[in-house]
Amino acid sequence: MLTAASLTAASLTAASLTVASLSRSQLATRLAGPGLAVRTGPFASRIRSTIPQVADGIELLYGAYPLLGDEDFADFHVGLRRPGGLHRWYKPQVSFDLDGLVPFEPLPEAHAFPMLEWGLNWCISTRAHAYLMIHAAVVERDGLAAILPAPPGSGKSTLCAALVHRGWRLLSDELALLRPQDGLLLPVPRPVSLKNRSIDVIRAYVADAVLSAPVSNTTKGTVAHLKAPAASVARAGESARPAWIVFPKYEAGAATSLETIPRARAFFRVADNAFNYSHMGASGFATLAGAIDACTSYDFRYSDLDEAMAVFAALEAPQ
Amino acid sequence: MGASETRWCLRPGQHLAYRQWDGECVLYNDLSGDTHLLGDGTIELLLALRRGPATREALAAVLQAEFEIDAAALARETDTLLEDLRHLYLIEALAC
Repeated sequence: MLTAASLTAASLTAASLTVASLSRSQLATRLAGPGLAVRTGPFASRIRSTIPQVADGIELLYGAYPLLGDEDFADFHVGLRRPGGLHRWYKPQVSFDLDGLVPFEPLPEAHAFPMLEWGLNWCISTRAHAYLMIHAAVVERDGLAAILPAPPGSGKSTLCAALVHRGWRLLSDELALLRPQDGLLLPVPRPVSLKNRSIDVIRAYVADAVLSAPVSNTTKGTVAHLKAPAASVARAGESARPAWIVFPKYEAGAATSLETIPRARAFFRVADNAFNYSHMGASGFATLAGAIDACTSYDFRYSDLDEAMAVFAALEAPQ
Repeated sequence: MGASETRWCLRPGQHLAYRQWDGECVLYNDLSGDTHLLGDGTIELLLALRRGPATREALAAVLQAEFEIDAAALARETDTLLEDLRHLYLIEALAC
């Protein structure tokens, strides 16, 4: 019989384990049964699936993440399943669900792992309203963070992937979470989503890059996910102070340039990239205004990653 | 009561949460949930109304104290600002 003391010990043991402590068979059993509960920054997700590509992606990219127990609380209960119907026999598909809700149309089964990543982003961006959420990459060095808000196609993820392999810590490739209480950024270090030509760019730029198998013909073209640095995952509990807001724009052949943006203009451009600025009302205003106060904002154009790294290395802490 | 005697005030519920940077002002509208980009003159006028209701003439004097502006332009600018702010639900005219 378990006593309270042994339960506590069991919980502590479970909390110190990582996904890598599971064998492939144990991982598949959890995914097929009670679900694999894993912590990514402030969020815990319980994932259920019998689709091999999901287990493949998790095994390759989520080894360093804290593993939670079967009874632990999870913010998101998600599943990736094969829907019924004739498709399953001649063109297998995968559907994503959150607490039984199916928010998206099914995708080809080969897209299962990208769908998990997109689905987890969707869970956070539609529900985590305790934070001001900006569609942005976030990287940190010496306690100061750079927020990189940008629409798809701007080269944000490529830049982020390169930075986190040149001395910067990954907080997120997709979501800047600003905490209204203190204005600090909370990390959600998950795999970095790379698309199309960026996949080969990062393969060439990062010698030890661990990437999931590219999946072609998705709505975003060919996608692959880059494993988050283990050191960033290990520091997922450490918040960071915003210091720079950098709007990146990749342009083939462009000279590297960094131009200051007036604060009021930067305010509106960041708000345009926020998921829930309007939803948060006055709290969203105060949180974003605090970030704008704390940061210097820039437009950044680049075509050469080495030059881009040099510009970031030379960023000075705001006064 | 003539237009010159009309008193203007902030709409109840407006807290004037704002930031001023480099000659521009960003203000949160508590009633509409919108965020506005305002010039410095506009926020000076709103801050004057935070102290209490005021006539058009008193508000024009606030603008004149802040900016070098001739009488005709001052009158036009004051009327335009008051009308714009009324449309944004930031201010209203008191009934009497």
